[in-house]
Amino acid sequence: MVLDSETKPSKYERFRIETEPAPHVFQIPNRFDVSARKVRLAAMLVHEAFEFKLNKEVVLSRPCIYGVFGGHFGGFKPLKHKCVGCMRCVQEYPHIMTVKQSDEYKRLGDSFWTPEAVFTILNEASTGKIPVKGMGYKGAFGGEGFDGIWTDMSEIVRPTRDGVYGREYISTCVDIGRKPTSVDFGRIDQSPSTVEVPVPIIFDDLPAFDFDVWNAVGKAARKVGTFFVTHDQTRGEDYRERMIPIVDDNSLDETLEKRPSIVEYDSERSDLFEKLSDSLPSSIVIARVPLREDTADRACKLAREGVHGLHLYADYHGQDYSGDPRHISESVKEVHQLLVKEGLRDQVTIIASGGITLAEHVPKAIICGADLVGIDTTVLVALQAEFLGETRDRNSYKLRPRKIDPAWGAQRLVNLFGVWHDQLIEILSAMGMRDVRRLRGDIGRSMMDAELREQSFKGIAWAT
Amino acid sequence: MGNLELIVEKHSERIHHGLEVLPTLRHGLPAGLGNKRWTAELILATYEMALTGDLPKNGLEYKIGDSGGGFDVLGWKNNGFPKIDEDDVDLSISLNKREVGKKIEIPLPIYGGGMSFGSISLNFMLARARAAKKIGTYTSTGEGGYPDAIVPYRDHVITQVATGMFGVREETIQYAPIVEFKYAQGAKPGLGGHLLADKVTSEVAKMRESSMFTSLYSPFPFHSVYSVEDHKKHVDWIKTVNPRALVSVKVSTPTDVDMVAIGSYYAGANIIHIDGGYGGTGAAPEIAKKNIAMPIEYAIPKVHDYLMSEGVRDQIVLIASGGIRTADDIAKAIALGADGCVVATAEAVAVGCTHCGNCERGRGCQVGITTTDPELSRLIEPEWGETRIVNLFTAWSKRLRSILAGFGLESVRDLRGRKDLLVRYK
Ligand code: SF4
Ligand code: SF4
Repeated sequence: MVLDSETKPSKYERFRIETEPAPHVFQIPNRFDVSARKVRLAAMLVHEAFEFKLNKEVVLSRPCIYGVFGGHFGGFKPLKHKCVGCMRCVQEYPHIMTVKQSDEYKRLGDSFWTPEAVFTILNEASTGKIPVKGMGYKGAFGGEGFDGIWTDMSEIVRPTRDGVYGREYISTCVDIGRKPTSVDFGRIDQSPSTVEVPVPIIFDDLPAFDFDVWNAVGKAARKVGTFFVTHDQTRGEDYRERMIPIVDDNSLDETLEKRPSIVEYDSERSDLFEKLSDSLPSSIVIARVPLREDTADRACKLAREGVHGLHLYADYHGQDYSGDPRHISESVKEVHQLLVKEGLRDQVTIIASGGITLAEHVPKAIICGADLVGIDTTVLVALQAEFLGETRDRNSYKLRPRKIDPAWGAQRLVNLFGVWHDQLIEILSAMGMRDVRRLRGDIGRSMMDAELREQSFKGIAWAT
Repeated sequence: MGNLELIVEKHSERIHHGLEVLPTLRHGLPAGLGNKRWTAELILATYEMALTGDLPKNGLEYKIGDSGGGFDVLGWKNNGFPKIDEDDVDLSISLNKREVGKKIEIPLPIYGGGMSFGSISLNFMLARARAAKKIGTYTSTGEGGYPDAIVPYRDHVITQVATGMFGVREETIQYAPIVEFKYAQGAKPGLGGHLLADKVTSEVAKMRESSMFTSLYSPFPFHSVYSVEDHKKHVDWIKTVNPRALVSVKVSTPTDVDMVAIGSYYAGANIIHIDGGYGGTGAAPEIAKKNIAMPIEYAIPKVHDYLMSEGVRDQIVLIASGGIRTADDIAKAIALGADGCVVATAEAVAVGCTHCGNCERGRGCQVGITTTDPELSRLIEPEWGETRIVNLFTAWSKRLRSILAGFGLESVRDLRGRKDLLVRYK
């Protein structure tokens, strides 16, 4: 007998996010500002004309291999946007050429978003490709928050990086919802089933009121298979099946009528939780909880009351709302660890948002105890919103979205998810992990700057 | 002389001149040069040392960068030590501490790290090999095979056996005084090597027995090694093919790097080479360079202390790499517990690298280091590169001697594990 599987092609398809170029539509600043001292440049050309006996090809052969001096006026009017800061022109003609970071580039972002981070997101969104460079790391050593965490690697364990290139599968799926803690055959469990998302990232509520932005978000969420959170259900309405509304008194009736699969409410409003769970028995109800000193206790209380998930949020700079603000990595870890201690952790999903601005923050937030993350200002940066000042607070932000084409915007966001997904796989494969769910709270597979410093530099005296 | 030759000559002459002039600061500190790890001053100081063979005399910072951590927040104690004459300081280290096997010593606690044919130009590879020969130390092939042009330097070339096994042949193992297994690398810990399609020219493809202009991914990890026993099989294999060779095991710096080190010892390795997460020269995803595995500054004491507690420290050589930029970094790494260091980026800076990171763009490196472009590759003449690298190491030796003499230490071997000579800055 010939088995079906031998005759029919398999329907199995590996999850991947298809990216395609979505170039910037608004001009981005040149990273480098290259300029030539014109008189010296002219003198140099005359000098070289003599030196090379008017051999035009040799005289006009330029130091730049990126075509910056390839315009009609050569070095007199360099094509600055092509400069990658390699410095060869300065090496060859130090008395003529100057290359520096441009002032416009240096002004990008705010006190939290560095120009480099803004550029990283812009490039990820436009190319859909992982940033790759040579010659080692160029930034600061360790640091605070996520910068002070390194992820582990394994010298010999599979699965491997091959996962990225298709040989072995690494799952990035996570579940949203409450999981039953035991099987009771005598009773049918009434709690809603969990919802699976293929990447541990959702769109959090955005400080934007532009319909096109929301349509881009909705469209991208549909394409990727994730969700977007919104307090205004008229935004991204066409993508309702991907919407997680934040419910308040004004939107309660509409929500009950539309029956979303996931719904969020302000954790202060326990009355809303009761109404939602009574009226929407098949929806996943998530409490939105600001991260503060007392959040771990509140999280336990909410879990005991039966919420299906906790959406823990810090401000846009990743600082929590404690009197003495801590980084979100610290406060999420605290919540996760208390829930574990109290035996409640597997009953709730934790979504963490605020300050999740680079691909590396996803696995690090998960290591600290989140199941998945929400992204916010990153979305607007990818859509080329403009920084007009500090964008720290959800109520007073200075990141102004621009008028965009939703299809373009959606592709930018799909690219961002694609690149972050690939980078998550890089991190997981380096650790030899097949499933992102195994990473949750696995502090043992990370290394903390502060801890290592104390261990390794023990015995070294402080300079006086 | 054809125009192509004239063009190459014109630009290499001007680059050489620039490398001479820039450290004089006659035109100021170039604004766009450098970054937190390799600051503009550190780059210029390296150019200066590569030119003169001496430490910079015009105040350029040549000891530390501006990363705000690791080596950059460590300094030296400076009081109360009986000084000795610098000429009396011995910088040599042994690369085999086991009772069996060939005894190999190098005159400086430094050798060159693996940079493969294909990822770097043949001329730069030759410059490194010539410099290693002149100094009496070693350089490593990296994982891209053993070009014929390197064979005359084989007594100073380490053959690397990496997961892709590119160009690994019986004779290349038999050439080698030292064979290096690359389990992992700091540039992309836990991920295999990656050579972008543009660099896979006909020569590179031939050497690697692959197709031209097709990206090459090395698998990760060695698919035949899942335990210390498997690892020992690997070591035995090399020792069977070339019984004279010492074996080095290059690994990255995971949480259990100390366990990996002891495993390598029991598998029979002579050298455990740990490559920290911030280093590397090859193309790597930015996320890997910054975030995966611990920096070398933290890994060295962890491994050294563990090998000490297991009582085997004096039977295995601990080599550190990944972010070693200066003579001071080397001395600090040794004070933290290493026997010596492997460097690669600093050699590239010696011949004009600006640490710009554009190695993988278009035609590759604009000054002929990480490129296989026929025109750009010629910007580095091997003899010139050799002189620059030898000069850099000569200047570093002076600095190392001065540090050791300042502490009254006669041998660099006496510095090992002397954390008490270091101080920390906030
Ligand atoms: S810095 Fe490099 S890319 Fe920029 S203009 Fe000069 S040579 Fe061209
Ligand atoms: S491209 Fe830049 S970083 Fe790479 S080797 Fe050349 S100068 Fe150095």
